[in-house]
Amino acid sequence: MTDDEALMQAIVAGDSRAYEAAIRQHLKSISHFAFRMLGNSKDTEDIAQETFLRLWTHASTWQREKASVSTWLHRIAHNLCIDYLRKDKSSLSSEYEDEHEGSDRPADAPERTQQLAALQQALECLPERQRSAVVLSHYHGFSNKEIATIMDISVDALESILARARRSLKAQLKH
Amino acid sequence: MNMTPERFAQLVETHGSQPARWPEQERHAAEAWQRDNPAAQALCREYAQLEALLDALPTPVLPGLEQRVLRRAASLAGDNLLDQAMDWLLPHGDRLLAWIWRPALVACLPLVCGIYMANFFSFGISGPEVAWEEELALLALNDYAEIAE
Repeated sequence: MTDDEALMQAIVAGDSRAYEAAIRQHLKSISHFAFRMLGNSKDTEDIAQETFLRLWTHASTWQREKASVSTWLHRIAHNLCIDYLRKDKSSLSSEYEDEHEGSDRPADAPERTQQLAALQQALECLPERQRSAVVLSHYHGFSNKEIATIMDISVDALESILARARRSLKAQLKH
Repeated sequence: MNMTPERFAQLVETHGSQPARWPEQERHAAEAWQRDNPAAQALCREYAQLEALLDALPTPVLPGLEQRVLRRAASLAGDNLLDQAMDWLLPHGDRLLAWIWRPALVACLPLVCGIYMANFFSFGISGPEVAWEEELALLALNDYAEIAE
């Protein structure tokens, strides 16, 4: 039995310690993903809470042959983020400038700072699915097959989305 | 597989600039293409710069999030203990039986409480020996007032 299976069996059986262990194991990745998709901490917290609520209530629907627990949780978070973005895009506000680690690090050179700001803006301007694909690929290290599972699309479709997203980011940085 | 400029560009756009992330079956050909082709090297450099900038973007910090999620988790797990108790009391699987059994169980609770309380408190009723005398008096059709005196 894999670690994932043991963990999920325990959660299905109502083991609160297993549930807490799963939260500690996956929360950082889920919340970072949601933050990079939504850009503010309030919505990120809502998505994280809802994702882990579903882990508790829907653990029995997880199928080990289809996805790892991490992939499954990211799929839930991805779907919630897409719903969130489509439901009320106008109310979203970006706090990216304020909410980041290492604010005490030496300041970047002005040119570098400009590039980073431009990249951040370019990321925020990407269509939802392109942003999700880039974030999952670059920051979370998922394989293309895993990202295709998370986004519920074929690997070919994902690769097309990824290529468009990277081309678009590169083009934005050149301007 | 023969490498072409279009396929090489597609590989880099899809998998990034690091050869380690390129598909294994095409990696050798793509690396050879990159080695011999200045345009391919330039393309890889551009995407490597993009990846370095992505790496440099700040990591989000969400203070107190873990505590809040764990607090909610603890309350969920608390609810589950109640559910487990109910599951133990109620028959599993058969929802119809559960629907009948649950109200019946709840309806029985006042009865059980009443029996327990009646057993525990006398509510002014005297002991059995006195009750027995009173019953004999009634059966004999005697004047109850005389006995009471």
